[in-house]
Amino acid sequence: MLNDIFIKPFIDMVEAPDFLLQVLWEGLVSGILYALIALGFVLIFRSSRIFNFAQGIMVVFAALTLVGLHAMGVPAWICVILTLGVMFLLAVTIERVVLRPLVGQPDIILFMATIGITLFLIGLGEIIFGGENKVMITEELGIPTDSVVLEPWGGLLILEQKDITAVIVAALLVVALLLFLNKTRMGRAIRALGDDHQAALSVGISLQQIWVLVWFIAGIIALVTGIAWGARAGVSFALEVIAYKALPVLMLGGLESITGAIIGGLLIGMMEKLFEIYWGQPLLGGNTETWFAFVLALIVLLFRPQGLFGERIIERV
Amino acid sequence: MLYRTAGQFKTSYQADQALFPVRQDAVLLAIILAFAWGGLPLLASEFAFQTLLIPILIYSLAALGLNLLTGFAGQLSLGTAAFMGVGAYACYKMVTLMPWMNPVVAILLSGGFSAGVGVAFGIPSLRIKGFYLAIATLAAQFFLVWLFEKWGWLYNYNASGAIQVPNLTMFGIYVSGPQADSRVQYYVVLAVVMLMTWMCINLTRGTLGRTWKATRDMDIAAELIGINLMRSKLTAFAVSSYVVGVAGALFVFMWRGAAEPNLFDIPLSFRILFIAIIGGLGSVMGNYLGAILIVGLPVVLGTVPEALGIPISSATVEHLNVMIVGALIVFFLIIEPHGLARLWALIREKLIIWPFPH
Amino acid sequence: MTKFTRIAAAAALGAMVGQAAMAEGLSTPNLAYRTGPFAATGIPLMNGQADYMAMLNARDGGIGGIPIDFFECETGYSTEKGVECYEKTKSNAIVSQPWSTGITLQVLPKTNVDQIPILASGYGFSPMADGKVFHWAFNTPLSYWDGASIILKYIKEMGDLSGKKVAFLHLDHPFGKEPLPYLEMKAESEGFELLPIPVGLKEMQNQSAQWLQVRRERPDYVIMWGWGAMNAGAITEAVKTKFPMDKMLGVWWSGHDADLRLVGEDGKGYKSVSWSFPNSDAPVMADVKKLVVDAGKSQTSPEEMDGVFYSRGLVISAILAEGITVAQEHAGKPDISPADLRWGLENLNLTQARLDELGLSGMVPPFSTSCANHTGHSGGWILEWDGAKFVKASDLIMPESEAISELETAKAREYAEANAPWPVNEDCQM
Repeated sequence: MLNDIFIKPFIDMVEAPDFLLQVLWEGLVSGILYALIALGFVLIFRSSRIFNFAQGIMVVFAALTLVGLHAMGVPAWICVILTLGVMFLLAVTIERVVLRPLVGQPDIILFMATIGITLFLIGLGEIIFGGENKVMITEELGIPTDSVVLEPWGGLLILEQKDITAVIVAALLVVALLLFLNKTRMGRAIRALGDDHQAALSVGISLQQIWVLVWFIAGIIALVTGIAWGARAGVSFALEVIAYKALPVLMLGGLESITGAIIGGLLIGMMEKLFEIYWGQPLLGGNTETWFAFVLALIVLLFRPQGLFGERIIERV
Repeated sequence: MLYRTAGQFKTSYQADQALFPVRQDAVLLAIILAFAWGGLPLLASEFAFQTLLIPILIYSLAALGLNLLTGFAGQLSLGTAAFMGVGAYACYKMVTLMPWMNPVVAILLSGGFSAGVGVAFGIPSLRIKGFYLAIATLAAQFFLVWLFEKWGWLYNYNASGAIQVPNLTMFGIYVSGPQADSRVQYYVVLAVVMLMTWMCINLTRGTLGRTWKATRDMDIAAELIGINLMRSKLTAFAVSSYVVGVAGALFVFMWRGAAEPNLFDIPLSFRILFIAIIGGLGSVMGNYLGAILIVGLPVVLGTVPEALGIPISSATVEHLNVMIVGALIVFFLIIEPHGLARLWALIREKLIIWPFPH
Repeated sequence: MTKFTRIAAAAALGAMVGQAAMAEGLSTPNLAYRTGPFAATGIPLMNGQADYMAMLNARDGGIGGIPIDFFECETGYSTEKGVECYEKTKSNAIVSQPWSTGITLQVLPKTNVDQIPILASGYGFSPMADGKVFHWAFNTPLSYWDGASIILKYIKEMGDLSGKKVAFLHLDHPFGKEPLPYLEMKAESEGFELLPIPVGLKEMQNQSAQWLQVRRERPDYVIMWGWGAMNAGAITEAVKTKFPMDKMLGVWWSGHDADLRLVGEDGKGYKSVSWSFPNSDAPVMADVKKLVVDAGKSQTSPEEMDGVFYSRGLVISAILAEGITVAQEHAGKPDISPADLRWGLENLNLTQARLDELGLSGMVPPFSTSCANHTGHSGGWILEWDGAKFVKASDLIMPESEAISELETAKAREYAEANAPWPVNEDCQM
């Protein structure tokens, strides 16, 4: 028993290094996608203290809009632009209809409101686009679909080109986002709002504008996530459940930290895959990915209650 | 006029702290209870029992359990459904291992198991707060559902992995399983729910409840005035999980008749959270109002187009239903973030001074 | 006050609706799922079912001169909604079609009390085949154990099974676990290694862990028990990990055209067992097209109509319609009761001649039921994806009936004991 837990998995890893690399790569790709969703959460949380549960359904909604528009015969790239337009409209609507009347309410109320938004969008999406599984327009968007086959140490390592693309695009997106937040006026305004609402308001930063902007950026991230994930497994409402995976990432990385979201995402993606393959499947009957990330995050939090990168919590009476 | 409180004098502290300091409240409750015990069972159809009355009661109880934790002790939990599952599986194991056991006793005991599990998963609350804690409770949610699936002993190694409620009798009458009459089940549920509610009301009014409220309002301050936070938080998890576990056992034994692990997955948790929040956090009555809205509304909405003869496919109705529920949640949060219980409190205040407002 | 006025209003409305459902004709509700993660599989099936009944109503004015009131109640594949739908529709229904193994299991014990037959064509609980124990439940024409048996027989034709490793990739759900008892039994008797790989409901779209396991374990065959979004996920992963497609076989619910279209050419060689097959030249298809689709009464599309699942939906409705016809002849009146329909479904005799007469040539194998045999065990074909559509890759293969019926009887007894008191059909002498 102890042998199965502490020794055998590591021997397996060393014996088949190509397989270990494959496992890590699969974990990395999932991790990137978790990180992207978590990023959407963090952005909104930082600027408005809203724990936006609707990020998952926004991913589905963006992907469905893209595919749905393309099915109507619109060229792929125009679809992307139109989808961005739809996400912008969504951001404006959410800000106007839901957030503005709820300013200043307790966190849990805002959280529930985003669950309400989630339900609403699920119903709306099903009515407009129907519930069936759809194919992501991968090729039309110019994403290569072949795979790269490497043979390290005489083994086999299969890298999907679309996964490589996803990794690169995600990296670019993160860099762009960091530049935007640190170098532009708007970006600084967002950060200022995250630090202190009232101080930001008093120096003339418009809350409404920033909220719309932040939700729109979250929409862009949702679209990228939707394309990347949709290319892997098709577009359907079942995608929504991946949003749950972003939650332990947030716990681990801290609710306010962008770096935390990215590192947390990659860490969780790879760790859960390693655990599942080397411990979960042989010893526990598999499917440990549903809870492993949560338990891991929970254990980390017991030692660092603010997450790995969260702001230190100082409590005063 | 009907609700006039003038003239009801209190001469002792006991009288002032009574459950119903205002006589009309007691009368109103008596009427509602009489109706629930006598009136409804005569009027309702089988459909109403199965889709409205029984589920509303059970959901109310589950929401009440959650409300003890979230509304009274301030610990946000997203894992309610998993604790319901613990109750349900514990009850199933008990009645299959000990078939002679009285089903109601089994249901009440099964809450004890979920209380134990609840305390175990409540330990992180001593370190973690707010949304971090909420996500931590999700660990319980996902882990327990996974366990229900993988641990064959829990479902007696049934090939399908689902549990089937056996036919159980109490005093010669079937109370659970396919042979049981809905009316009997309704009475059992009503009795258990009443007992639990009575217990919860008194708990929340007593020392324990006040400790919880102090913890909720500011735990550091509570600690400074000498409240043992560990005891306060863990008792909240224990009592809350107990009530939720009993609700889970009722859910499967008195209503569903069978259960598969993913029944206790996150949508159920959210549903109960909706009920607690729409009903009003920190209120006992709110849970009932919330359950009536969240459970009853979709059922009623689903029957509207048919009743009006609007030709619309059932799938579209379902989608519209989801949309309407989502929109309603947002709507209620906007008009009354403190929930339906608060709305009732406002109405009651108006009634007290009616017809002579200031 | 608000509390009980609301309950009263709801109860009154509920009661009112109970009566409002009383429409013209024979009430045959369908607990459909056109929404949720499984909608992809559900929609074509539901369309096929509805269109066949609409066609009968348009062509013959129903069955035996009485129109069929075929209507859907949406469950979204949720067991909770399913039970609600069952309660809502049962008042004057002559049949219930629960459409999910979870809902079937839930409704099954109630049928004895409510005395309404449930028709679960190609799904549900395999021991339902034992009609002596399960009076009111039917899973024509094949059960999951039959399906698993046909797949194993087909694999055996390609080579010996002993010493091989067979991965069983299944949804972690009552549906996916259903064939396990049979497969475990066979693994022992045939001497192959069975490797169950569960796919959680949340993992359906992202099965990389499962397929890494497949890659590590290198099974000789993968048998797939998937539904809805899981199929597409599995097939794309299989293509990605370069698992030989001709070594991958699925149950009938995993043979959905739309899922395979996702991978197109790459999926070539993938196989699925099926007890139905699309035949665009069958007279019944022409009738459906003329009377229902062209009349604008259908939600289907031409592409979907050629698919396996649409025709399967059609066949399911045809089986139900045949059951009604038989019941009407037996009862001597068109307005049959649920008990009459049960008799009808127990005495189906769909010979090839009868199938041709109904215009269903080549769409379903001939089969017959009896009071002891509620499945029919029709046998099935292995279908192969040729890159654009499914084609037949084998002749009709019959499941091994002896071992299966033994297992069915044993498990049915177990079920009856666990649910005692459970009435057993004493009249059935077969």
